[in-house]
Amino acid sequence: MRMRTMEIGVGFLMLAGAVALVVLALNISGLSLADQSGGYRVYARFENIGGLTTRAKVAMSGVQIGEVTAIRLDPKFLVAEVEMRIRDDVDYLSTDSSAQILTSGLLGEQYIGITPGAEDENLMDGDRIQDTQSALVLEDLIGKFLFNKVSE
Amino acid sequence: MLDWIQTLGESALSRLAAFGRAGQLLMQSLIARPAPFTMFPLLVQQLYFVGVLSLVIIVVSGGFIGMVLGLQGYTILVDYGSEQAVGQMVALSLVRELAPVVTALLFAGRAGSALTAEIGLMKATEQLASLEMIGVDPLRRVIAPRFWAGFISLPILTVIFSVVGVWGGAIVAVDWLGIYDGSFWANMQHSVDFYEDVLNGIIKSIVFGAVVTWIAVFEGYDCVPTSEGISQATTRTVVFSSLAVLGLDFILTALMFGEL
Amino acid sequence: MEPLSDIIIDIRGMSFSRGSRTIFDDISIRVPRGKVTAIMGPSGTGKTTLLKLIGGQLKPDSGQILLEQDDIPKLGRRELFLARERMGMLFQSGALFTDMSVFENVAFPLRVHTDLTGDMIRDIVLMKLQAVGLRGAARLMPSELSGGMARRVALARAIALDPDIVMYDEPFTGQDPIAMGVLVNLIRRLNQALGHTSIIVSHDIKETLSIADYVYMVADGHVIAQGSPDELAAVDSEQVRQFMQGLPDGPVPFHYPAPDLMQDLLQETP
Repeated sequence: MRMRTMEIGVGFLMLAGAVALVVLALNISGLSLADQSGGYRVYARFENIGGLTTRAKVAMSGVQIGEVTAIRLDPKFLVAEVEMRIRDDVDYLSTDSSAQILTSGLLGEQYIGITPGAEDENLMDGDRIQDTQSALVLEDLIGKFLFNKVSE
Repeated sequence: MLDWIQTLGESALSRLAAFGRAGQLLMQSLIARPAPFTMFPLLVQQLYFVGVLSLVIIVVSGGFIGMVLGLQGYTILVDYGSEQAVGQMVALSLVRELAPVVTALLFAGRAGSALTAEIGLMKATEQLASLEMIGVDPLRRVIAPRFWAGFISLPILTVIFSVVGVWGGAIVAVDWLGIYDGSFWANMQHSVDFYEDVLNGIIKSIVFGAVVTWIAVFEGYDCVPTSEGISQATTRTVVFSSLAVLGLDFILTALMFGEL
Repeated sequence: MEPLSDIIIDIRGMSFSRGSRTIFDDISIRVPRGKVTAIMGPSGTGKTTLLKLIGGQLKPDSGQILLEQDDIPKLGRRELFLARERMGMLFQSGALFTDMSVFENVAFPLRVHTDLTGDMIRDIVLMKLQAVGLRGAARLMPSELSGGMARRVALARAIALDPDIVMYDEPFTGQDPIAMGVLVNLIRRLNQALGHTSIIVSHDIKETLSIADYVYMVADGHVIAQGSPDELAAVDSEQVRQFMQGLPDGPVPFHYPAPDLMQDLLQETP
């Protein structure tokens, strides 16, 4: 009888642990297993990526449509090349879409915003977005502002 | 002066010897041929005492710590207009640091001291010697199930602590302070990485579980078998395992998150 | 005194020390088979240690402890555990497992060492408990027993496997006269009925002498006297007489070593 209470208790503990782990994975860290395999890759070159990191979100009109999977330096053009994975169901991005590095809020993280263009042809796996706009770097901005003041 | 150096050397040697005995104990009780069929009921029993009975204190502390984090995070972040980030602050600090460390400290106080006292008492009442005379290895019968129970329980308790803590933080931030719950959860989900943060936190708790239980069973097994000796051993368990947890936490954090 | 021909445990020239303190110095003790042998002596002479040495829980610094042909200190772990199956030990505190009922305590050695079915174990346990008069207490937990009852349960556990040797560590200490009488009777009766060898370590003179066949008196690491109880009573040694008659002063002084009293009193406090 005593053994039975113990076994039930231990079973409950194990169950609670398993549930908690699932909650941690899905609800708290937002891990979704489908993300890893699906989607198609799109590349974009930026002159300056600022504080962009892998796993940053890729959004259109603020809605997430994918994430940054890799960032490397392009040795030929000497600019940053960003690889992102776009969800399969978002297959209507025209080839003349533009990509922009944006910041969510004042202290928020940086992400890539995609603005669709007008072409009929859509981006395919391995395509490159030509029209890009780099991250806003505060120091550059201040520098420009001061330069303008002086030249006035 | 020479006396002082001698005392120093003496205490260093006895510490070293204790460490050696502790290692020997661990080796013997783990390598001791496993007997799964007799071991299993004993393990369940110990999981109950060590894990299930620690559940209440873990859930209550987790809830309160999460709520405090939510409140503190809000008052700090609201100055910068980034109060939506309170979700990620609560979740990250819990998952990475507070859950493994606080759970391990509470565990040392709740379960570790109980383990030491129990084993110490078994030694003082000659139950361990009696097992030996019956021809049963007390390391296998008494030490091994307790060690494994602690080793298994602590990570489970840590995960539960994290979840309850985040939930407590959400209650304060979303329900009381009125942060939009969509941005609370979305910010959190975006910044918490399962492998980087959650798994590293669990790895920490596994290390802590092994160390805390190791210290607890060793202090019990190695204690002077008198009431005074048991109380001293219990104190030592709490002190040593707390220090070990905090020290190891720094090392593990440096290895996992620092560029070491 | 009959010749000690049939010896089951033979301790030869054994020395043991703990730290810098010598507990046994070249001691030799022979335990005859099937008899009750008592080892007596003042507290702190390492009588319990002697039992632990025989049980192989401690290893002597030198000398032999022969159980028939096996030298206990030289046995490997496995052989030692086999040898221990032949020994039962009654610890001073009883040492019942506090998390098991009386029944389970007695059944424990059987479950560990035999492949008997549940029914057979039950029968044996009830018989052993009947022998110590506690069959009715089988369902109780050790915390519900009085000290004397706990010791009897421990005795039932010690004889559960029908050992060749039963060792008693201070079986009479801290018992009321009734419980003491019960235990004395029980030890004697079990020894006769089961035919095992009994070794009693004790400093309770009257009770021990009433059941012992042969007595060793140990003090300061040496055997200071040996023989049957009657022979021992006749030994002309101050040390033995002080112990046997419980005199407060003698070779074991009443006063802990100290400077002269007058000198101590007249001395000014620093």
